[in-house]
Amino acid sequence: MNLFGIFIGIVTLHIIGFGFPLVVRGERYLGYLCWPYMMGIGILLIIASLFIQGDWLCVIIAIVGATFVWGSTELKEQAVRAELGWFPFNANKIQPPFESIIKKWKAPHL
Amino acid sequence: MQINTLGLVAALTAFLSIWIGHVAVRKIEFISPTIGLPTVIFTTLGVFAEYCSLITDSVSLKTALGIAGITLLWDAHEFTRQQKRIRKGHAPANPNNPRHAKILAEHPSATIINLLKREPVGRPVSHAEAVKLIEHH
Repeated sequence: MNLFGIFIGIVTLHIIGFGFPLVVRGERYLGYLCWPYMMGIGILLIIASLFIQGDWLCVIIAIVGATFVWGSTELKEQAVRAELGWFPFNANKIQPPFESIIKKWKAPHL
Repeated sequence: MQINTLGLVAALTAFLSIWIGHVAVRKIEFISPTIGLPTVIFTTLGVFAEYCSLITDSVSLKTALGIAGITLLWDAHEFTRQQKRIRKGHAPANPNNPRHAKILAEHPSATIINLLKREPVGRPVSHAEAVKLIEHH
């Protein structure tokens, strides 16, 4: 009987909390079309965690990865929120590479 | 080299429990005449999951239950936050739900339209145009 799982749960909650500014700032400065990059970073972090032997670090890296993947699915809705004025709208976004190709893909939303 | 799957277990549990919770809170809040009962049920389930995480010996199961439990506790709190979104018109109200019907009568900002259900257009949009964009969606 130990508190490892409960502590991991609490740490997870805080890491996911960092996903909120990640989505808000990511959308504001880069636009929602940066979603494949955010998703890719998340998947790479989860894969990287497989090779970390220490349980705490392994879990933290993977949870940061899951947060990036989840964040990538929230970007499109966040773009609409900014257009509605619920969040500051930035007209001068930095265009992510291959924006015209990404535009043709359906942005994920859960 | 040895593979450590604990992180993968944690990531999958976090992603799936957040996804399911996100959808469940919105659906339940939409139809439930009270948010008190769902809040109590989710809190109870969350505490139970944490208790199970405490007593199990498997590290993977401990991790998954610990994360799922905290997610359930957060979702319990989300019922209150979702109701606030309904009042502000940031989430659609259900006129067939007596609690929402009251919110619609008392809060002019509340609406039955889901203003987020469209593709981004890349420029600021007024409320009137936002409604039109949804209709054409």
